[in-house]
Amino acid sequence: MQDPRIRLASAALISVAAFISIWGALAVFLWWLLFTPRMRRVKNIRVITGMLLLIGVIAVLIWISGGDGLSYFLRFGVIVLVGTWLYTEQKPGEFLAVSVWAGKNRWGFELGMIGECAMQIAELLLCDYARIRIAMKLKGENWGVRTLVPFCLILIHDALMRADEIAELLAVRGYRNGGVCCPVFCIGPLDRVSGICAICVFFFSIVPVSEFFILSM
Amino acid sequence: MKIVLDHLQVQQGGWSLLANGTFEEGIHLVSGAVGSGKSTLALAMAGFFTPSQGTVTREGIKTLMLSTQFPEFHITRLSIAEECASWELDYTEIIQSARLKVDGNASPLSLSRGELKRFHLSCILAREYDLLLVDEPFSSLDCIEKERLCRELSARDSGITIIFTHEQSIFPHVDHLWEIDAGELCALGRFPEALTQWQRAPALVKKLIDLGRCPANLTPEAIREAACRIHE
Repeated sequence: MQDPRIRLASAALISVAAFISIWGALAVFLWWLLFTPRMRRVKNIRVITGMLLLIGVIAVLIWISGGDGLSYFLRFGVIVLVGTWLYTEQKPGEFLAVSVWAGKNRWGFELGMIGECAMQIAELLLCDYARIRIAMKLKGENWGVRTLVPFCLILIHDALMRADEIAELLAVRGYRNGGVCCPVFCIGPLDRVSGICAICVFFFSIVPVSEFFILSM
Repeated sequence: MKIVLDHLQVQQGGWSLLANGTFEEGIHLVSGAVGSGKSTLALAMAGFFTPSQGTVTREGIKTLMLSTQFPEFHITRLSIAEECASWELDYTEIIQSARLKVDGNASPLSLSRGELKRFHLSCILAREYDLLLVDEPFSSLDCIEKERLCRELSARDSGITIIFTHEQSIFPHVDHLWEIDAGELCALGRFPEALTQWQRAPALVKKLIDLGRCPANLTPEAIREAACRIHE
């Protein structure tokens, strides 16, 4: 999907659809199979597997405590897949372009820049994750509860340090608020079709399933 | 004990580096411009970067350590005492050898880049490794610290030590010289013969060679000796 406006709007709609109901989640999964490159462009498959495993563990706990663990797993698993697709498709500058298109050069620019910074930090977190893994391997350390806490705190610390540096850099360059950006969008051949299908999936999830069928006794 | 690079090719985007050669026991200096691929080569030699072609064979090497350019990349704990414990070292000794004025509870991430580099190098050099790969060990250090580090590196009398650097002023005693030039790692040989082949030799060394006073090595003492030609 080339147009980031349709991509972001579709992702928002289908995420809500997947969250609302299990039928919505299944419809979103079908949409994901049809309109995305699936896992082909995913750089770090381990992170996705880890997230799905974590959701699986929580789902089992919900199931043990008497809740609907399967529904939880399906709905949140599909949301993770949608998030992964959105993240891998995202190119630098797109978030800013969409925000300026939607909110103009003042608030749109601000929001877009915050989004771009967040995307950059997310990218760097993956690099930090990789280098801490190397450092641990070099020391002969194994994964465990003892290493998990400092691991996460170091990641947070590095992210905060970078945010601080970016803020200082912006201040040094005289940034106060807003900016000028003239976004240009390119609509791919399947963009409109997948966008319309995402709207359909959303409505399908909010309308009760029984409404689609004539149920007679 | 040796590490063999057999038609090793490391590639990233449009950039690539070809490396062939055998690193035997002793101190090796791999010189190259910024962006020539020294860090990637170090990662590949340590087994943390998958080459697009060729192999890295480590023979008789039981213990390996890679020191990356950025010391913060090695931090895995939240206090200096815990960080030293993760290296299986006593923090009081490390604080002393790194000349830090902090206690064990201080966060290593609160140190300045230079202090953190000293701390990291002290942890690395406190233990013996069969293969020690040090990537840009002189970055973030002042001249006094660079000389101190050179003395410590020169004192390593066993195992393979490979120093990847673009440093041009202060060096330890080096046995073998390598150079990355035009996307290829070239073995220039042993000292002092290798010096005449060195494309990126420091200006002072080049001048001495031109004057026919080739230094025996790259240590400050050897350079001074060549410059003055004071024979005892």
